[in-house]
Amino acid sequence: MEDTQRGSRGRNSDSWDAPSGRRTDEWSECLVLIAERQDRAAYTRLFRHFAPLIKAFALSGSALSATHADELVQEVMLKIWQKAGAFNPEKAAASTWVYTIARNCRTDMFRRLQKFDTPLAAEDFSQEQEDEEPFTQLQTRRSAERIREMMGNLPADQTQILAKVYMEGKSHAEAAAELDLPLGTVKSRVRLAVQKLQVQFERNAQLGA
Amino acid sequence: MIKYHPDLDLLTEYVAGSLSLAQSACVSAHLNYCDSCSQTVQQLQAVGAAMFESLDPEPVGDALLNRVLARLDEEAPLSYETPRRDSQDATPALLRRLMEGDFSDLAWKKITDTLRTTQIKTGDPNYEFSLLHIKAGGEIPAHDHHGSEMTLVLQGGFTDGHGDYHAGDFVYKTTEDVHTPRAFDDEDCICLAVLDAPLKFTGWKYRWMNPFLRLQAG
Repeated sequence: MEDTQRGSRGRNSDSWDAPSGRRTDEWSECLVLIAERQDRAAYTRLFRHFAPLIKAFALSGSALSATHADELVQEVMLKIWQKAGAFNPEKAAASTWVYTIARNCRTDMFRRLQKFDTPLAAEDFSQEQEDEEPFTQLQTRRSAERIREMMGNLPADQTQILAKVYMEGKSHAEAAAELDLPLGTVKSRVRLAVQKLQVQFERNAQLGA
Repeated sequence: MIKYHPDLDLLTEYVAGSLSLAQSACVSAHLNYCDSCSQTVQQLQAVGAAMFESLDPEPVGDALLNRVLARLDEEAPLSYETPRRDSQDATPALLRRLMEGDFSDLAWKKITDTLRTTQIKTGDPNYEFSLLHIKAGGEIPAHDHHGSEMTLVLQGGFTDGHGDYHAGDFVYKTTEDVHTPRAFDDEDCICLAVLDAPLKFTGWKYRWMNPFLRLQAG
């Protein structure tokens, strides 16, 4: 699984430069080159790696047609070009940054297709935390790295649910209907997976249904 | 200190983008107050990103690459300030935008002597998004829910027999819960409420109002 994610470049594209903890992966470097020099060669490399993933993301759950999927790829890739200056390699991996843009654009496209009349774009919902301490940033990056490493160890039934929820954008209820499982089973599998990945969360939350 | 939070299911759907627009706005407003849930959201984003990276790539032809490259000149990189997170005692920016102003600019509708509400348009066709203003010491008549009710305290606070809720606290009630929220005595309380079905008052005194409380989504 690891190899297919990293593209065909044959180098470990995501490694830690131990002392500073700064990311030195290829895709972060590309984003920095785009931001600083509008480097089209770097942009083309980034496109060849991420565009096929964005297209796969657009098509998962077959919620979008092939035409809309291509449109989404263009939209996301143009946003990457425009917003590269806002990417901060101290805070996040390039892949997380790209995923967030892809998710926002897809959510907006769904809403456009359903003719929502709203003043809000999906990116208005996320807030940057500029006030974060370097230590907090480091912890966030470390936990992201750990999540990535541990993802491969999850049991298949949990990975399947995470794919429904995160990639296909299904609500827990929709995932339950599609997999013909009780809603409680879907919820507990998501929770188990997230606990195994050691995501920290508040346990005294108000319980819903 | 925030004591009541959205549960993991809601945060997961929020991050995955499957939560409705109106409910997402409410969760997003909670994150404004809550560092802990903000951290959780960042970690869940890493889960999404890891799933994203392990997708089977779908071939994208050079034609599409060339089309995008041709558009780069018209889409010159923009540089702008990254929006800062609001200070935790301010009304969340997302809400200020939806309200197009401040609490005082809104058209409040009187329900009882101590309760006023106003609808805010989000564009979500399935959920009603409204603000409640409860006078200090005032009550919301006992009610239950056909659907779900998401509440976020924005100012002041209230108690409902299950707990005390202050600014930033997030409460999620579903069908079977009946409660009678009562604002604290020393300050008016302003809450955001997101409903997927109209409230139903259960006390005899207010039951006559039920037909008037039709859901106004949008």
